[in-house]
Amino acid sequence: MFKRSLLLGIVSGILAGVASVVYAKVYNDAIGTDFSAVITPLKIMLACIAAGLLAGLIHYGLMKAIQHRATLVFNLLFTVASFATIVLPFAKKLPLDIEFPELFPGLVVPMHFFPVLGWLTLYPLFFRSELIHKHKI
Amino acid sequence: MKKLSFILATLHLSGVMFAYTFTTEWKIAPKYSIAFDGGEVSGIFRTFSGKIFFDGNDLAGSRFDVTIDVNSINTGNGLQNRHAKEDDWFDAAKFPAITFVSKKIAKTGNTFQVTGDLTMHGIKKEISFPFSFQGQKFSGKFSVNRNDFKIGKPGGEVDDVISITVDVPVVK
Repeated sequence: MFKRSLLLGIVSGILAGVASVVYAKVYNDAIGTDFSAVITPLKIMLACIAAGLLAGLIHYGLMKAIQHRATLVFNLLFTVASFATIVLPFAKKLPLDIEFPELFPGLVVPMHFFPVLGWLTLYPLFFRSELIHKHKI
Repeated sequence: MKKLSFILATLHLSGVMFAYTFTTEWKIAPKYSIAFDGGEVSGIFRTFSGKIFFDGNDLAGSRFDVTIDVNSINTGNGLQNRHAKEDDWFDAAKFPAITFVSKKIAKTGNTFQVTGDLTMHGIKKEISFPFSFQGQKFSGKFSVNRNDFKIGKPGGEVDDVISITVDVPVVK
């Protein structure tokens, strides 16, 4: 169970990282901004994988603590936490040589939802047997 | 008598023209910095323009007439930038420029002291501050009380006294 939670966290983190990097490329090309001094593809990947790993650990902890409702509680927590963190890009103070800081949240806010999307998308692949078992009950 | 007045007036006008003509005019070079620090909020103004006539040996003929574009404010945060331009702060729509026009420049040791009119938020106040001119760069640091210009409400997260640092490289 621990391995599966952790693996799901890492894989969904990588998926979220790839999606975020692609989104950043599309956003910068479309809007004509350059925030590479603040966020690089490496930083994006590391942040997404770290978020996935943390999610895996919390998920495992909840599975141990409240077995039956763990997934429901965890998914709710992960979504609410992702939503709550969108205040951070709005409060972020960028270096003064970066133009159009008002466009920074538009780049980063969607990225805050990619880890939870990755997790929810891949969850059935990693915990399929559990879902089938629950369905039968 | 009329002739004498005419001659004196002509001489005076010639003197003024001589002073303005022969005091070096400097053009503002691109890498200038107009920075402000008000505690929780700090930043720069990106757009600065104007006329600078300066000669350390001809202070009477030296003068500054410079303008800062309020809309070019950058605090590094989009929300703060927008808030700063709103009517309770700079009211950039109504008062799009900050201007400084010098009235007197004096030498004080190795530096200079300029006195002039600073106009912000539609309010004109006389200020005086020291500056240096070395290596074709003007540098100065001074403070203004934003309440004197009715910018924002007194107190709060932004300091009442804002520190301003000016570094303006120039070329002939």
